Amino acid sequence: MSHTQDKSAALRQGVLIFIYLAALTALEYFIAITFKAVSILVIVAMIKAALVMYYYMHIYKLNAESEDDEHSYEYKTGTNRLGLWLFLLSDSFVFAGLMTTRINLLGLTRPHLDQLLGLVVTAILLLSSFFMNRGETAMSHGDKKSFMNNTLVTFVLGLGFLLGVVLVEWRLAAEGGLVASFGNPAAGPMGAVFYIMTGMHAFHVLTGLIFLGVVWNNARKNLYSARQHWGVEAAAVYWHFVDLVWIFYYPALYLIGRVV
Amino acid sequence: MKKFFSTALARGLVWQLIGTLVGAGLVTGIRAMMGLSITDTFFFTEPAWVLGAFFGVLFFLAGNGSVSDWFKWSRGIDTPEHHEDHYTGWEKYLNVSLDHKVIGIQYTVTALLLISIGGLFALIFRTELAQSQLQFLTVDMKLFGQNGPQLYNTLMSLHGMIMIVSILLGIAGIINYVVPLLLGAQDMAFPRLNAFSFWIAVPAAVLLLMSLVLGGFDTGWTGYPPLSVRAPVGVQMFFLGVAAAGWSSILGALNVIATIIRMRSKGMTAMRMPIFVWAAVATSIIALTATQLIGLSFQLVMFQRLFGMGFFDPAKGGNPVLFQHLFWFYSHPAVYVFVLPGLGVISELLPVFARKPLFGYRWIAMSSMGIALVGFLVWAHHMFTSGMNEYLRVPFMYSTLLVAIPTGVKFFSWVATIWKGKLTYPTPMLFVLGAIVVFLLGGLTGPPNATVSVDLHLHDTYFIVGHFHDTIFGGFVFPFFAALYYWFPKATGRRMNETLGKIHFWLMTPSFFVLTFGMMQIGLLGMRRRIVDYDPALGFDSTHLVLTIAGYLIGLSVLIFIYNFFNSIKNGEKAEGNVWNSRSPEWQVPSPMPVHNYDQPFEVVGEPYDYGLPGSKYVEFSSPAKSKHK
Repeated sequence: MSHTQDKSAALRQGVLIFIYLAALTALEYFIAITFKAVSILVIVAMIKAALVMYYYMHIYKLNAESEDDEHSYEYKTGTNRLGLWLFLLSDSFVFAGLMTTRINLLGLTRPHLDQLLGLVVTAILLLSSFFMNRGETAMSHGDKKSFMNNTLVTFVLGLGFLLGVVLVEWRLAAEGGLVASFGNPAAGPMGAVFYIMTGMHAFHVLTGLIFLGVVWNNARKNLYSARQHWGVEAAAVYWHFVDLVWIFYYPALYLIGRVV
Repeated sequence: MKKFFSTALARGLVWQLIGTLVGAGLVTGIRAMMGLSITDTFFFTEPAWVLGAFFGVLFFLAGNGSVSDWFKWSRGIDTPEHHEDHYTGWEKYLNVSLDHKVIGIQYTVTALLLISIGGLFALIFRTELAQSQLQFLTVDMKLFGQNGPQLYNTLMSLHGMIMIVSILLGIAGIINYVVPLLLGAQDMAFPRLNAFSFWIAVPAAVLLLMSLVLGGFDTGWTGYPPLSVRAPVGVQMFFLGVAAAGWSSILGALNVIATIIRMRSKGMTAMRMPIFVWAAVATSIIALTATQLIGLSFQLVMFQRLFGMGFFDPAKGGNPVLFQHLFWFYSHPAVYVFVLPGLGVISELLPVFARKPLFGYRWIAMSSMGIALVGFLVWAHHMFTSGMNEYLRVPFMYSTLLVAIPTGVKFFSWVATIWKGKLTYPTPMLFVLGAIVVFLLGGLTGPPNATVSVDLHLHDTYFIVGHFHDTIFGGFVFPFFAALYYWFPKATGRRMNETLGKIHFWLMTPSFFVLTFGMMQIGLLGMRRRIVDYDPALGFDSTHLVLTIAGYLIGLSVLIFIYNFFNSIKNGEKAEGNVWNSRSPEWQVPSPMPVHNYDQPFEVVGEPYDYGLPGSKYVEFSSPAKSKHK
């Protein structure tokens, strides 16, 4: 498979996928406010996840042929890639466990949250994934400057998401009465589930931001080339994974069920 | 002594202490500023202890140097792929090494240490149980803020978890040492991650032991809420210790899978891999994924205690049964993590000592994978009495009974391999045969527990305890000892003493039968598990006395083993060649193994277990000239 033969074609593909993802997110929102069909929301989320895993995280590269020489950079990158994906597989069990907790404790109800804010932070995270993809594409064609600019934009958007959730959303939710029951024995599991899910995700966003900072700094030191940039690829895949989790968490917290 | 204090182990422990104080001090300072209480029963408050324990683990790892290469990489500094070890002798094992063989030995020795501690705890509470009424763990005694029965609860709980961690480290030790040698690889795929996985287990063990002195906990190793929500602060140390040990297991498993997929030598197709490698894959798949769920379930309880988040508090709309689902989603497959490598050791060693091909290689390989995959679907059989939805019981009963099929395949293969073989009985073979018999007992006593109607009676009795110890001794302890006796010459160039080995076996095995049969017998008659005392009118006194004596005999046999192990490193009979006359590649080169394993790469040219077939060959080493050409 030759998905990234030509730089402009690869960039164009990134734009196209972003448009698909944005349209599907809008569709999700529309479904949620009109006919509330959970099964359709699940299907849409799975389509989005598949698009991200294939076109942004390049899962097919796990299958890429590499040279026989076990000491070559390509061969080691193949091993590293496998290791990263195994880690993500393991990590996804944490998120799946939290999702199970949510389904078990809340069922078809959801907390009262600011819908507009939810849509905005989701859009910001999606946009950051788009710029991350542009950055990685640039690096794999040796364009360090474009990589650094795009990564910077990704970083700023990611920071915006993190602050939007932790500073704005958490405060608004708490003011609206959604508390993790600090000293409030009457508070139900709603707040607990909301804060643990967004909190665990925010923790991953934070580690992703640190990762982006590290590769940005190393790119500044000219450590990556078109042929050798495993660090960049790893940071990008990890960042898209953070987005992937939110693809499921956003509908689970904002769209599914009736507000309590 | 001075040498000891400059080792990575000692440095790490000092840093852990500093980290604990820093973390606890931080929380205490913040609480002081907020006007909250700053001291509690155990000096610091609970949040202070939690952050302290967490910082302690981080400081340990940062302080002992096991993550320094990663920090260098993140700043763009390259490091050589392999460090040469600067140390020789015992110092090599107390410092950070990237060599999988050194790490394997580090794991194994730590596992033996923890087995001894966990066994000691068992002997303490077993002694109390020898007679009804309270003898020395009385209500009046006080130790670590606990009275006798509370201490009993803590020791009983810690016996469980420390043994579990020691098993995880034990299998990691064998897998780490053996798998790269069987594959013909120079090392594991990620040597630094490998070192990290080992070193994070050390502060984990420290945390588990810390729980003993911080008030202990009375929940058993399962830590069910609401009991674990009310337990003393020790339970938080237990949660954090399990989380750290869990990361050790997860990252170790990741490394094993990547190594096996990427680093096999030429010609080693999937169906020509040694059978132990298949077992390592199967066990790693479970450890990699499911382990996250026990960490998560404990984390949620931890947050419920710290922040009042009511996940498992029915008064707040939470659901305690949810905890059990999350917990058992790991903790049942975990027993397959424990036994699959052991069953792999049995299949690996049996053909060597029966001098016959392993019967049904493909079926054995697939049965390991089958057990691992079915293992994901059986967790709720621990919860038949928990009050979960009743319609879930029958599907979980059948999925559990299904495990008997791949396990039966293994037994069939072992029996068929032994049949008409030319058996010899050195110590490793004795332990292999012992493992088969003991695991058979464990296997046969399983289906009654899996059957809902019977389990309603058996649940939480000594029958379960006896069954469990049968599976774990048969699936882990016996094969672990077999593996140690078998690969000891590879690691040291010397053999362990045969006479002492046989004494070890012939002392441990009958004592063990007495122990578990006795447990199952009084369990059927209604002896509850996990209790410090029992009614003398039940008439269990004499049986309990026999069980205690059997327990001490097992302890004695393990002491003999440990003496034999450490004594043979220096004084054992020299054994540098192919002592067991094995076909496996690691025995085709002299012992002990050189630092970078094989000088010449080998190619797999035949089936691994064709013992006794004339002219058959498993591996062929390339000659120096040929390899230069390549």
